[in-house]
Amino acid sequence: MNKPLEGLRIVDLTMGWAGPLATRSLADMGAQVIKVESCERFDWWRSWEATEAWIADDGAEKSPQYLSVNRNKLNVTLDLEHPRGRELLLQLVARADALVENYSGGVLPKLKLDYAHLIETNPQIVMVSMPAFGSTGPWSEFRAYGSTVEHSSGLPHLVGQPDQPPTMQHVAFGDAIGGLNGTAAILTALWHKQRTGQGQFVDLSQVECLLPLAAQGVLHQSVHGETPRRYGNDHPEHAPYGVYPCQGDDAWVVIQVTTARQWEAMQTLIPELAGFGDLASRLQQRENLNATIAQWTAQHSSEAAMHLLQSKDITAAKLNNGEDLLHEPQLKDRQYLQWLERDYVGLQPNASAPFRTEAAPIPIESPAPTLGQHNHFVLEDILQLSESEIAELAELGIIGTKPRLPKTQSP
Amino acid sequence: MAEVPGQEVNAEQGVFQGLTIVDVSGSVATSYAAKLFADYGALVINLEPAHGFATRKLSPLLANGDSAMHAYLNTNKHSVVATQSCLMDEPTMGQADLVIYDPESLSPAGGLSGAETNTCAISWYGLSGPYNGMRGSDATIQALSGLMRGIGQPEGPPMIPPGFQAQIIGGLSAFNGALGHLLAQRMGNRCAPFQLDASILEANMCFTDLAAINAYLGNPLPPRMGINRFPPTYPLGIWPCKDGWLGVTNLTPGQWKAFCKLLELEHFADIELFQSSISRLESADILEPEILAALSNHSAEDLFYRGQAMRIPLARVPTMEELFEVDQYRSRQAFSQVQAAGESFAAPSTPFRLFATPPHFGGPVAELGAHNRIWNSGHE
Repeated sequence: MNKPLEGLRIVDLTMGWAGPLATRSLADMGAQVIKVESCERFDWWRSWEATEAWIADDGAEKSPQYLSVNRNKLNVTLDLEHPRGRELLLQLVARADALVENYSGGVLPKLKLDYAHLIETNPQIVMVSMPAFGSTGPWSEFRAYGSTVEHSSGLPHLVGQPDQPPTMQHVAFGDAIGGLNGTAAILTALWHKQRTGQGQFVDLSQVECLLPLAAQGVLHQSVHGETPRRYGNDHPEHAPYGVYPCQGDDAWVVIQVTTARQWEAMQTLIPELAGFGDLASRLQQRENLNATIAQWTAQHSSEAAMHLLQSKDITAAKLNNGEDLLHEPQLKDRQYLQWLERDYVGLQPNASAPFRTEAAPIPIESPAPTLGQHNHFVLEDILQLSESEIAELAELGIIGTKPRLPKTQSP
Repeated sequence: MAEVPGQEVNAEQGVFQGLTIVDVSGSVATSYAAKLFADYGALVINLEPAHGFATRKLSPLLANGDSAMHAYLNTNKHSVVATQSCLMDEPTMGQADLVIYDPESLSPAGGLSGAETNTCAISWYGLSGPYNGMRGSDATIQALSGLMRGIGQPEGPPMIPPGFQAQIIGGLSAFNGALGHLLAQRMGNRCAPFQLDASILEANMCFTDLAAINAYLGNPLPPRMGINRFPPTYPLGIWPCKDGWLGVTNLTPGQWKAFCKLLELEHFADIELFQSSISRLESADILEPEILAALSNHSAEDLFYRGQAMRIPLARVPTMEELFEVDQYRSRQAFSQVQAAGESFAAPSTPFRLFATPPHFGGPVAELGAHNRIWNSGHE
């Protein structure tokens, strides 16, 4: 059986987390994704602090973050600042369905590889551009990472305690969300192309991708004309509701009681709760209520507390950390982590696509490629270059398999 | 919106015109997945119970008690009240190219068994595994995925992210899976109907799968470090200025040097130890008091623009009120107007823009059963 997106070819000029995650989803579904790097302008997700020692130690091939978002792809090196490298990229574009990029604003126009130039080569190409703030507007060339994207979305003003600063949720929150939206954008444009034969330019702003996550706050402000309050772990309408300490170091369980039936069930587990009365009374006595529940949760591991509560149909979950995820029963049962051998690093876990049509997850066919691993395949089989032409490209440094420190580093 | 050179504008509006999606559950996750189809022109039918989808009760509420959140999730969709005891007997089901559902909301009589159409289940934990059937919420997903453990003060408790974030991410991810498989059918790579199983937990692992991988490699993340402090980057955070909040990220040695220059902290700029973000994080107790003192002398707005001119990834951290006034967002129509219950209010627009075939920007919201007549007497 064919893979869902078999037959589609995507040229991938993305770097970091968001862009490569966007194209990873397509590769998982069987599209041929050709990641293009150069030996000097390699993906900064390999390292943003590259040194000669790092290169000598093959550091470029060992970055877990790079490996995690580039599996199932092909890798070709092309120096796009060299006229021959640019020409070869355009030849790839001529044979592709889509090109995806997240370079800093201004880079592709300078290389004459922006949309206007690409459609001279392939009028049907879909080009997806996914800069932090979008490709139009006064901030279109502003620099950002996933954290900057989270900052700019206003979301931190909705998170945390009212007496604390606006609170971030993650070191690079915007990246993952930008990546998932990037996949959506590419697929939507490819659907249109499949129907009509027409390509087009697609513009994705990573900051705007976070606004749906802040929708309740945005709507509150718009509808009521007032700034939404931050409640920390409390809920204005429900109690008990929060995160409670469990047996062990930094062990926690989240508990959310939102119905009368769940409150009754809580009291069968913790008889000391009987005196707290109706919802209005519980909301008033929230501090004492939480303390009483914490006394009970502290006697149990987070896993045991979760299962005891869930057995009574109460919404609850243990708080996992990275190590816990390796042993999480739900993820293990669904074979969420797939194990693949990779040069330089050995056996590695890889996260599956979050959707499936079979009992098992979509199989991951190949680990992230090494730098320039598919130079010969791409140049010879796809672009029909001869052995001598490929050798000349290597001699000129247009292709290669080892990174070099750029003259000026600009991730 | 800026003009894209050489772009031929297609008069036909709506990428998904001709595609019919039926949402039989109306969770936030199923609604968001269906919304992305509706935004780009699919006919999306909400097949609702007599009392309406649960989203119709979500806050914030409009003056008449209708839900603004429901409205945001359901612009440009049809609403039909289910009348048959068996879901598969509903007239709308025969029209569906894709049925989206949350298995929690399907009664045995209303199940999809025997459906010869494409289906997309969006469930908290997936359709299999030991947690299948456990109660879920956005917070349980954020707890189990490991995201929550990193938010908040070191002594705890970790903080619950607000709203419906986990479901929005789950819905988005399910949209990707469903559209990928619909495209496969159109391309001839798939013939038979598909039954997609989309897990909200696995979708939200996008933030933390790397933490699991690093733990396997013997590099587990350190315990929670405090509000707005995350490895391996420093300075990183949201800090007060003379007027408002500035978001700061410094990753590279070049950005660190420029940041020191911007804040007149040049005595830190060239110290070898501070050229690495991890070393700076380890020295945060030394650096932070000076950074905070320097920031307090400046306006956030001024630092943001001057910093960006120096290629430092700084950000203003706008409040919800300020968000609507940000010139970048205004220029891109990042918010659009939703019309519901006689009111009009701003909501986030579709995050990605196809220039030749743009999405709907905002739009009207159907009252419960507004399209009964059309669908229950045969689709025209």
